[in-house]
Amino acid sequence: MIAPLAKTGIISAATNLWLAIPIGFIFGFALFHAGFTDSRRIAWAFYFKDVGVPVVMFSAIVTGMLGLWGMSLIGFIDISKVYMLPTYLLPMAVGGLLFGIGMVVGGYCPGTAIAAFATGKIDGIVFIVGFLVGSLIFGDFFPVWGDFYNSDYMGAFRLDQWLGIGLGPAVLLIVVTAVGGSLFLRQVQYRFWPTEEVDPQREQRLRLQGGLIAAAVVIAIVFAFFPTPSFIDNFVEPPHYIVPRG
Amino acid sequence: MKLDKRWPPVPAGILIGVSMLLAWIVAGRGIGASGGMTRFVAWVQQGLFPAATEESAYFGKYFANAAHPLNDYVVFLLAGLLIGAFVAAWLTGRLRFEVLRGPRSPVAYRIVLALGGGVISGFAARLARGCTSGHALVGGAELSVGAWVFMMCIFAGGWMAAWFVRKQWI
Repeated sequence: MIAPLAKTGIISAATNLWLAIPIGFIFGFALFHAGFTDSRRIAWAFYFKDVGVPVVMFSAIVTGMLGLWGMSLIGFIDISKVYMLPTYLLPMAVGGLLFGIGMVVGGYCPGTAIAAFATGKIDGIVFIVGFLVGSLIFGDFFPVWGDFYNSDYMGAFRLDQWLGIGLGPAVLLIVVTAVGGSLFLRQVQYRFWPTEEVDPQREQRLRLQGGLIAAAVVIAIVFAFFPTPSFIDNFVEPPHYIVPRG
Repeated sequence: MKLDKRWPPVPAGILIGVSMLLAWIVAGRGIGASGGMTRFVAWVQQGLFPAATEESAYFGKYFANAAHPLNDYVVFLLAGLLIGAFVAAWLTGRLRFEVLRGPRSPVAYRIVLALGGGVISGFAARLARGCTSGHALVGGAELSVGAWVFMMCIFAGGWMAAWFVRKQWI
């Protein structure tokens, strides 16, 4: 297994830092092309006026998920060296609710606000100033909510473990949910916000996106045939570098 | 894909996914945006109040062992993000100073809500240990239960609050 390069010693810590810049470049480039530098497009998702935001998010998750677990399956990446986000259920649920409120009120999330700022959007930089103040309030008054922040810890807890199914079938379930959810949200959008505009490249776009979606479904069906241990060894504790297991 | 026009959502999402994959392959961790911003604000506060910030229960870890808070992976990612979005907008001719808002929204109203929404999101991202990119997307792909709960709650919170700020957007 050669990846992750920084943790198998193939590249140095300094090289790893510098390589973050081209990776961030691709991320920022994609955020622009997703239309995420426009606060209206982000906020319209919450009115079903433009459901591009969840469609982009589903596409990114499916790509990342198939790629990550696929690389583990073929033995290219050592998944035990990949940082897994641990679950703190209640703080994450409350944080998510607040974050969603902040998103529809402010029109951005942190990454999109920075991308919008880079393209000259003044509401983007204002959002960033607010975001920095909010982070500061959290950090400076940390003792007030620190206990809640560290509560409800469940470790690196995965959906397949929670549902009691194999990892492969869980991946397939997410791909099916993503495709079904995206198509459903589009129908809701067309129903509540019908448009007279005709996209001249509609057929070309449908063919391209349809092909990509079909490829994802096929890969996920192949994954579903593999048992969980061929993706990950559940008995190896993944590294947590935010807060160690208490 | 053409570079002088915006892409459809699926290829754009796939490219975000590719940046996540590269981060896992190279660094063994995901991408993220809020972590770099928190480090930035901690660094600013340390300039003003060095002792209090370095001893802070939350920010103190950024300064442990005489570390510089900006010498971190997430900060380098943010620098790349900034350049990437700039280049993409430049290639499509979309670089423009403007305040984006709905047709019925005055500029001042939009600015106040952008600031207020930022404060709420900043607090929320720290409470949840991440934002849409590092938490929802990366954690979601890793099949983390917490990330999926976080993502569902983002949409629930957004839909609950949408009616109250509709004048800003539609």
